[in-house]
Amino acid sequence: MGFLLGAFRDSLHLILSLDPEIYGIVLRSLKFSLWATFLAVLIGVPCGFLAGSKSFRGKSLLITLLNTAMALPTVIVGLICYAFLSRSAPLGFLNLMFSPKAVIVGEFILSLPVITNLTVAAVQSVDQRVALTARTLGAGSIRTAWTVLMEARFALLAAIIAGYGRAVSEVGSAVMLGGNIRYYTRTMTTAIALETSKGEFGLGLALGFFLLLVVFSINILLHTLQKKGMHR
Amino acid sequence: MKIMELKDITHTYQRRKVLDIAALSIDKGRIYSLIGPNGSGKTTLLSIMGLILRPTAGEIFFEGRSVDSDKGFRLTVQRSMTMVFQDPYLFCMSVAKNITYGLRTRSLPRKVRDAKVKESLDWVGLPGFEKRGARELSGGETKLVALARALALDPAIIFLDEPTANVDTRHIHQLESVITRINRERGTTVVMTTHNLSQAYRLADMVFSLFDGAFVNSAMHNLFSGQFQQTTEGICFDTGAIRIWASSDAPAANSTHVTIDPENIIVSKEPFASSARNRFEGVITQIIEQGGKVLLEIRSQETFRVLITAHSLREIGLDIGARVFLTFKASSVNIL
Repeated sequence: MGFLLGAFRDSLHLILSLDPEIYGIVLRSLKFSLWATFLAVLIGVPCGFLAGSKSFRGKSLLITLLNTAMALPTVIVGLICYAFLSRSAPLGFLNLMFSPKAVIVGEFILSLPVITNLTVAAVQSVDQRVALTARTLGAGSIRTAWTVLMEARFALLAAIIAGYGRAVSEVGSAVMLGGNIRYYTRTMTTAIALETSKGEFGLGLALGFFLLLVVFSINILLHTLQKKGMHR
Repeated sequence: MKIMELKDITHTYQRRKVLDIAALSIDKGRIYSLIGPNGSGKTTLLSIMGLILRPTAGEIFFEGRSVDSDKGFRLTVQRSMTMVFQDPYLFCMSVAKNITYGLRTRSLPRKVRDAKVKESLDWVGLPGFEKRGARELSGGETKLVALARALALDPAIIFLDEPTANVDTRHIHQLESVITRINRERGTTVVMTTHNLSQAYRLADMVFSLFDGAFVNSAMHNLFSGQFQQTTEGICFDTGAIRIWASSDAPAANSTHVTIDPENIIVSKEPFASSARNRFEGVITQIIEQGGKVLLEIRSQETFRVLITAHSLREIGLDIGARVFLTFKASSVNIL
């Protein structure tokens, strides 16, 4: 009990004293995940739109694959990326291993299927009259696509937030690709996993608090958006 | 002057031919009504004319030029007309933003857009609705805003699919008056589908009847569904409520629909002695004057519509509620 109380006191001290290392890790985590999500949105939303609005051969197979990819174990992503990015691997010349970019690549691969798949669902839930109405009002194909996405904006935002949630809370690939290097690639999850094992329980607890705060905020946002989407 | 022409248009859906129009000309500045039962192809034809749907075969001309002569021309034509669906969709935004949607696709400056919003809402009798949310409107208001959104574009042709279906009486009157006004004051060509025959004749300069995807010459006024029966006295068509005698040389059809041209029915205040086999008694429920002609709606066991001249109406002295006799020949019955 004394151990727990001590660790709790330490973590509280770290948080309240605005410990620069703690806040640095939190900000770095949020930044990496933001980049990963941004890239996943750039690719996932257009692909999700096309998959959701067009019919083509292999569509159901693609959606099954995306569903499977949503549940991809993070260490597997780490392993695959390692196979491509390590020094002697095909993309080794890019020199990305154990850099923030490698962490971002791993998180991007994890959040891409989440964003794509939820975009497919968001687009499919849009009333079919939206595209027709846009066309009767003279919209070309790009504006029509934009209008469909805007009609699904709450579901789309929910998709992006869910993708961000997946990126920020993963640990497997960030450890394998980033290496938990202090002040460089250390994120909330890698620090919790590795620093706790080194006996820094107070630090782990403080970071755990922030991670929970992020995940909780994401869920509140998701819930609010889903409610808005239903009642619009 | 012809604004639109359709040539040899056919459309197939799931291997079934749902539309087969050899030719159709639309003159500038007139109102056209497409009438016909459910599934007759009215909305398909309207969507093809509105360039929302590509026909399986055939060609569409706009002001003498094929709309598919080049890709840019199709979009230009598409932007010079618009369509309002039977159950129109308003985007999840304010009424004003809905109305400016089409104007933004045409890159009109903000000042012009704002003025158009106000003008269009005034036209449909909803001034001050700019800031209302699309989801806060009633069914009738939604239709009026959709119409305002279409009017803001100043289209050369406006296609209206069942503009007054599922709308309360107050809004029906408003919608009809807007349709007539845009045609008279702006010279907009209107092509509308409707189930309401009296509305079709009241508003339109020309009425087309569609049945099974093709134009039929017989007006759809007295369209009855039922079954043919061969009796000892000849062939009769049983609607369930009445029996209509058809010409004995008519093909003993499997057909389930017949029509009677409203001009071939004689209306009289007393039973009319003649060789005509079909005689019914009914009450006048509606009198619609259109040009020199008058359309009477007469309720018997089935509802009949009869077209007479205004002169005849005055001469016989008919009024709503009057009991009348209807007489028509078996040869006047068209089998579809």
